[in-house]
Amino acid sequence: MNSDKILKRVLFFSSLVIVMIAAAMVFSLFEGSLPSISKFGWRFLISDKWDPTQGSENYGALLFIVGTILTSVLALVIAIPLAFCTSLFVAEYFHGTKLASIVGTLVDLLAGIPSIIYGLWGFYILCPLVVEAGLSPQGFGIFTSALILAIMIVPYATSLSNTTIAMVPNDLKEAAYALGATRLEVIRTVILPNARSGMTASYILAFGRAIGETLAVTMLIGNENAIPHGLFSTGNTMASVIANQFGEASGLQLSALIELALLLFVITTIINAIGKYIIKKIG
Amino acid sequence: MKKSIVLVALLSLMTLGNKVSAQSISGAGATFPEPFYNAAFATYQRLANAKVTYGGIGSGGGIRSLKDKIVDFGASDAFLTNQELHGMPAPVVHIPTCSGAVVVAYNLPGVKQIKLTPTVLASIFLGQIRNWNHPALKKLNPGVRFPNKEITVVHRSDGSGTTNMFTDYLTKVNNVWRSKVGAGKTVNWPVGVGAKGNPGVAGAIHQTQGSIGYIGSEYAFAQREPSALIQNKAGKFIKATVASTSAAGKGKIPADTRVMLTNSSAPTAYPIAGFTWLLIYKDQAYNNRSLAQAQATLKLIDWMVSRNAQGLAVKTNYAPLPAGVAARAKAILRTVTYKGKRILK
Amino acid sequence: MDNIINIGKTAGLLSSIGYRKAKNNIFKILVMVFSFLTISMVFLIIGTLLVKGYKQINLAFFTQVAPDTFTAMMATANGEVIPGGIVNGILGSIYLVLIASAIAIPMGIVIGVYLSENSKKKYACVIRDLADIMQGVPSIVIGIIAYIWVVVPLTKGYSVLAGGVALAIMMLPLIVRSTEESLKMVPDTLKEAAIALGTPYYKVIWRVLIPTSFSGLISGILLAVSRVLGETAPLMLTTLGNPDVNWNVAKPGSAVPLLIWQFYNDPNMVNLIWSSTIFLMGFVLILNLISKWIGAKRK
Repeated sequence: MNSDKILKRVLFFSSLVIVMIAAAMVFSLFEGSLPSISKFGWRFLISDKWDPTQGSENYGALLFIVGTILTSVLALVIAIPLAFCTSLFVAEYFHGTKLASIVGTLVDLLAGIPSIIYGLWGFYILCPLVVEAGLSPQGFGIFTSALILAIMIVPYATSLSNTTIAMVPNDLKEAAYALGATRLEVIRTVILPNARSGMTASYILAFGRAIGETLAVTMLIGNENAIPHGLFSTGNTMASVIANQFGEASGLQLSALIELALLLFVITTIINAIGKYIIKKIG
Repeated sequence: MKKSIVLVALLSLMTLGNKVSAQSISGAGATFPEPFYNAAFATYQRLANAKVTYGGIGSGGGIRSLKDKIVDFGASDAFLTNQELHGMPAPVVHIPTCSGAVVVAYNLPGVKQIKLTPTVLASIFLGQIRNWNHPALKKLNPGVRFPNKEITVVHRSDGSGTTNMFTDYLTKVNNVWRSKVGAGKTVNWPVGVGAKGNPGVAGAIHQTQGSIGYIGSEYAFAQREPSALIQNKAGKFIKATVASTSAAGKGKIPADTRVMLTNSSAPTAYPIAGFTWLLIYKDQAYNNRSLAQAQATLKLIDWMVSRNAQGLAVKTNYAPLPAGVAARAKAILRTVTYKGKRILK
Repeated sequence: MDNIINIGKTAGLLSSIGYRKAKNNIFKILVMVFSFLTISMVFLIIGTLLVKGYKQINLAFFTQVAPDTFTAMMATANGEVIPGGIVNGILGSIYLVLIASAIAIPMGIVIGVYLSENSKKKYACVIRDLADIMQGVPSIVIGIIAYIWVVVPLTKGYSVLAGGVALAIMMLPLIVRSTEESLKMVPDTLKEAAIALGTPYYKVIWRVLIPTSFSGLISGILLAVSRVLGETAPLMLTTLGNPDVNWNVAKPGSAVPLLIWQFYNDPNMVNLIWSSTIFLMGFVLILNLISKWIGAKRK
């Protein structure tokens, strides 16, 4: 019994690591954004100006918030059907076969490609396609970035889903088949409810990856500091502008960028919470 | 448990193993001179048994690293303003190592060469001239057949010394630009799309017909991008080359070399050019720095501004320092002290 | 629409075997189509990489350090293959991943165990949400954090250790959540049986829960490692880069993504980025195969 208690204590204290890291992040980011917060206050959230010119500096987060939400949500919308079906393919329809093993490995390889390469691939292959389709003059834009993001996050969405779908107990599935259920019905009534927690977790993780992606987006989104007015117009995201300007920024600009990072924390929290709520309501 | 102890022991052994080795120097900063610096440092490593690590994290990152005293030298395309100098913990000196230019590249199939005046250039980037068949362009280039195509402006999305040089030039030569946009590493571009890095801009220009943009010379020269001839202060239309870039440094330079070379009055100078500097503290005895470390750092920088390294600069498409500036650089190095005593003779 | 359903219900159509089978088959076709789409994307991307990069792959690639721009320029001018390789990056990346894994894997698994064992508690929900939020932090911000907390105060300079810490923070949410979710899928009956037999808690975890969910744990770890192998931004602010191989954790080190970034920005070395990426893919593939082999052995 004693060792049990000690173990439970150890487990509890280990969880504090997450709290400490998160607290350290929030603290450092908050400290760095104080100059910007004190200068702009609430207006930062609704201002669509981003002017680093010396003498007339004025920063606002609105453009980037809109761009971030548009690209990452669109990326998730594109990625979920792809990932969902691929997970069923690997973990249910062809579970245990060599084909599933190969497909699973191939998809996992996608996670190892550096984001700069995704950006370049999108630039050389996707952009010309978009230009040919007449959707955009140079191929840059929200849609192109979202498409690349979708491909990038598919392995995150499939990895955990594959595991949880495969681990649904066989006897539950067999019982359903014995009652005359079709495969779709087994999936709907047995697999999905059981695997729901894991699948939700994987989509939230995939979304996190999308919202925080910098290089690939920055190479494809056109970096125009204006509110995007359509799916194929250019725009900018928070992660992208931070990565672009951080190297050369100082003073108030640096503080504004750090405030953007802090805001991203908040936005991720809100969207994650909304996502979890929606899933709860559907199920 | 056992495995982690072994791992920790191995790791500490590895740390120990490196105490007795060549002097190691670290620097960080500008990406513009990075290819030249890497080539130079590799050569220096063979000559002097000193290992130099350099990270091209951006001029801002270089200044930040120097401020935090975690590197031996910083590198920047823009010199520190008086205000920034005050913000540093101790006096800093600037040593120019080479110069570069900003070329204006374009994508017009069939067009061999175009000439631009400062006014027309600024108007294009301001969005006032929106089509290639605008009368102002036709007037400047009578023999050229311009298509009826919209001009797509491409600029940098990331903060950069190249942008700083380009916008500094436009600010000097055009009042509208000065009041509307101004100069800086990042500015509020009136028109155009942003691409990341020189490769991004070059790639965007290649893929978009009718586009125009600015690229750092180290990239443009190596890739042989077609670039426009710009009219300089003396009225001549100059092509960006290593020679015309160096010529921009031949005028009067302040003693501490902190000057923007844009819009130079030298007759053969390319008007959009500038130095890049290495930054070090004037007094090298900080943070328990050893004399040996300070000496190694200074010897490296001294070598960088001397003939062999400058010859390497030319080979890698960078403009070497004019003789007067190189001499000035060496003089500045000899004012750097360690606990009050000069380090280099 | 409602009328049709009512008519259908009366005719017993909706619950007829034919209708259910039709839905089943349509769904199967949809799954196949979307899976095919995903796989073709994979082939497109990997194919592009191979086509663009195979010429630069040779033995020297794995044994020599990165070339400088002058050497590369000379080689390209003569139409030769660019000499040199990326061994400083390869060993640097492996070193970084080892350090990051040593920090993140034990911690991630332990925290995952805690979350799965206490999943109903409010505190656990907070930890879970924090982990999900951490996953959304851009890699450059994590680099900034590691700069503030390790580079400046601890190692007083750019260092491999700072890079390892930054990568560890990035690996943590993935490992924590996949451990938690994999453990949750272990049937309660197994756990209860072990407890009923009087097994102490630590043995239940070590000998029942973890082995059963092992493949899930490995997948999570593999995904986390694959991700950090390709990260650039945090490494620029922490480990900076190094022209040589470096084993000193307190000094700057190299990594393949850093080299890729360097090659990309250098007009003479841009072609090397494809072969470097092929190497990274090959490395991830090998890790994948090893983990599948371990999983198979356990069965």
